Amino acid sequence: MAKTLFEWDYSEYPGAKSYPHLFKPIELGNLYVPNRIKYAATEENLNGLDGLITDSGVEYMRQRARGVVGGLCFMQGVFMDEAGKGQGYVGQAAAWDDKFIPGLARIADAIHGEKAIAGFQLMDCGRVGAVEVEAGHGPSTVPQRLRIFKPMVEMTSAEIKEMIQQHVDAARRGIEAGFDAMEISGIVGYLISNFISSYTNRRTDEYGGDIRGRMKAVVEIIQAVKAVCGPDIPVGIRLCSEELLDDVRGNTLEESMETYKMAEEAGADYISCTLGWQESIYPVISRDIPMGNWVHLAKRAKEHVKIPIQMAYRMFKPDLPNEKIGANELDFWEICRSMIADPLMPKKVLEGREEEVRHCVACNLCLARLFRDAPMTCYINPVCAHEANPEFADPAAAEEEKEIMIVGAGPAGLECAAIAARRGHEVHVYDKRDVIGGTLNEAKNAPYGDDELWTCIEYQQVMCEKAGVTFHLGTEVTAELIEEKMPDSVVLATGPVYSKIEGSGGDSAKLVNLLDVMTGKAEVGEKVIVWGNRKPGIGCALHLAKQGKKVTLVGKDKTAGFDVNPSFKWRYMIYMRQNGIVIYNDVDIEEINDEGIVVKSFDGYRWPVNCDTIVVSQREPNESLKKVVQSEGIELFVIGDALIPRNLSSAVHDGYRIGMRI
Amino acid sequence: MPVDAEKEITKLYRALHSAQDEIGKTFYRWRQVAVEFAGADANPQDVALRAAEVFGKDIGKSILPRMNWLKGEEGFMMILGKALAGLWNTDGGRATAEKGENPGEVFIKCSRDPWPSWAKQFGVPMEEVALCRERMYQAVLEDVSVFMNISLKIELQKAIPRGQGETILRLYKAE
Ligand SMILES: Cc1cc2nc3c(=O)[nH]c(=O)nc-3n(C[C@H](O)[C@H](O)[C@H](O)COP(=O)(O)OP(=O)(O)OC[C@H]3O[C@@H](n4cnc5c(N)ncnc54)[C@H](O)[C@@H]3O)c2cc1C
Ligand SMILES: Cc1cc2nc3c(=O)[nH]c(=O)nc-3n(C[C@H](O)[C@H](O)[C@H](O)COP(=O)(O)O)c2cc1C
Ligand code: SF4
Repeated sequence: MAKTLFEWDYSEYPGAKSYPHLFKPIELGNLYVPNRIKYAATEENLNGLDGLITDSGVEYMRQRARGVVGGLCFMQGVFMDEAGKGQGYVGQAAAWDDKFIPGLARIADAIHGEKAIAGFQLMDCGRVGAVEVEAGHGPSTVPQRLRIFKPMVEMTSAEIKEMIQQHVDAARRGIEAGFDAMEISGIVGYLISNFISSYTNRRTDEYGGDIRGRMKAVVEIIQAVKAVCGPDIPVGIRLCSEELLDDVRGNTLEESMETYKMAEEAGADYISCTLGWQESIYPVISRDIPMGNWVHLAKRAKEHVKIPIQMAYRMFKPDLPNEKIGANELDFWEICRSMIADPLMPKKVLEGREEEVRHCVACNLCLARLFRDAPMTCYINPVCAHEANPEFADPAAAEEEKEIMIVGAGPAGLECAAIAARRGHEVHVYDKRDVIGGTLNEAKNAPYGDDELWTCIEYQQVMCEKAGVTFHLGTEVTAELIEEKMPDSVVLATGPVYSKIEGSGGDSAKLVNLLDVMTGKAEVGEKVIVWGNRKPGIGCALHLAKQGKKVTLVGKDKTAGFDVNPSFKWRYMIYMRQNGIVIYNDVDIEEINDEGIVVKSFDGYRWPVNCDTIVVSQREPNESLKKVVQSEGIELFVIGDALIPRNLSSAVHDGYRIGMRI
Repeated sequence: MPVDAEKEITKLYRALHSAQDEIGKTFYRWRQVAVEFAGADANPQDVALRAAEVFGKDIGKSILPRMNWLKGEEGFMMILGKALAGLWNTDGGRATAEKGENPGEVFIKCSRDPWPSWAKQFGVPMEEVALCRERMYQAVLEDVSVFMNISLKIELQKAIPRGQGETILRLYKAE
């Protein structure tokens, strides 16, 4: 009889009817799991620099545990060596000593408090490790491809044995802390995958050579961890199904599937199917990769092993995993970023509240922050990493009800409106457009997945409606309207103004409006200059290049895409090259003439660029209406691009912060 | 004001060449400092070769992201050869990578090199230039070899001390 930790009955929930395969039970080893949902292990850099668990970390996990509605909830991978060679992130949780057990127990308790199954992950970061020390450890001394990572030192056989023992000791600590399931992380270039890959394991001893030799340390870890876990605690492993390292002679697909079979033979109770490496040249989880792109790998894995297969990777919505589980091509829906963006996502699915899900926009800011030693932040979820702060997590009802006029129904205005109304204010949102969504109406037309940005507006619309926000669309707010309404507070969420070109010819007929270009309203010639090298300019340049136009991107910033995080920016740089877009950074437009423009570099060089159309994407703060509100003595807030032109994230975060304060 | 193309290009051309000139001279200024610090017993050429090695090691690390085996061994050797020739061009030379007769063999040929003239200005034997270039490339290949798990070699085949004619290096895979 399988061990049952918590009883769950989903039969009355609408989500269980719509997605029956997600809410049916399964056994992992001897453990009964009531559904097919797993919050995948996620570093968040919220622990102390000493590796000890903090209140922020506990509350972060409690929310995710609530979200899995009885399923698996894994805490981040812990590092296991006192020397810190296996530590990949400054705030990574540690388990190299018994002193960490009480903190870890707080996480297990928080997860159990939500009647979910607590998972513990063992993760030596290998090539991506040694964040606080000079050198990391690995099977061989293969130089790093990415300079941000530390040099590697080859482990001796004795050190390999010690590393295996560290896994065992850490697993024992996890069990003592109260965790119910154990996982070994062999993901994206961490130590386990370093041993397995022909790219990083060049050993000629028993721990190297062919795929069996390269798997030997991993097999020994699985067996040793199994022994300490006993029959009731399932042991799983995250293993790469496709390294995407062909350019540096990594493993073949056949070798990867061999590793699956060997893990099963060694006693693994399940495999979490992963892919790609930090050092791979192929993108795996950014927005330009279509949702569901990788799920075929789970099917292939299932053709090679009998144990359950779990998988995440750009499966942000429940329909696909439900279908694949039903077709026996997958056993578990793993979720990482969708539950960073909305910790309660699967719970909302179960309760038939899918329209209330705040969707991840696959921007990878959360990842980029980890590698810059910063605590986790989510682009789209302002509460993320503030779960322990009640002011953020559950803003209190307003002490005094106010009548609030919000000018602009873009993401900043909508976010502010939903929160302020939820707190009891009377909120009126005005927009001169006939539709909500602000500039995202245009931004969503940019290629490479930007249509997903619109999910934010869909969510905000539902939240505004539920909170009782009143909309006045097609209504431009003027000084007269403000004087007539005389609200208690005004929030200006009016978006940016587009810059004037200072040089001569700034009133040229060649100039067109960015927003009109993105909706196809403006006539655009064949040779186009896009002025402004941040993301709106890049999105527009790609949009036009896709129509076969010859595009030049010209901007003042030192590098294009200054406002895009490094984990995504490299994709745009490649797409711009592929689409033949010429880029001039760190320049100004000195003049517009009949042929085109004259560009002037920061150090005074000038050259002509021919064009028949110039699109202005360079933005400035919006000063309009500020004076009139102030002169009437009305409380004033300015948020989003109107304050400083930035991006969707700042719009949402500004909106939330003002909404909870007002 | 209309752009005077000739004037702009001349300005840029001069700026590029004076930047290259300064880079070359800065190396020899530093060489002088290093030789002084190394003391009377040290052989100045050894000091210069050691510097070339340090440069090469660092450059090797920066070219790893561009290394690519997708086009097989021949393709890889050509990518690498072009990267090495490109480095020489950045330094002010005029170099190309040409496929050799043997499998995986690539010749890096330089038909114009300003470095011997700079060496002469600082009283350094011009022969040292080609030896430093060879040592620098060898150091570049150290990390590339380990990274790609292939034993790469490069050797100087012909050196024209004054920088005219052709300097040739042979890049190949050791058995
Ligand atoms: C092509 C393009 C691509 C982009 N790509 C990205 C991206 O990939 N990631 C990202 O994060 N961001 C991107 N952005 C930027 C993003 O769209 C903006 O930063 C975001 O929409 C700003 O939100 P906001 O609410 O502050 O202002 P806006 O979305 O501009 O909304 C302002 C609203 O105020 C209304 N308004 C103004 N004045 C008045 C008035 N007097 N009365 C009534 N209504 C008024 C306007 O009609 C508008 O609807 C892109 C933008 C563009 C154009
Ligand atoms: C911020 C962040 C932290 C992560 N930390 C871990 C980790 O500690 N252990 C691990 O095995 N995987 C980790 N991953 C990988 C995820 O668990 C997951 O496999 C990956 O993000 C793909 O799933 P998704 O598309 O649902 O995000 C992390 C991913 C992100 C974005
Ligand atoms: S930061 Fe971006 S990728 Fe990460 S969870 Fe939030 S929206 Fe998704």
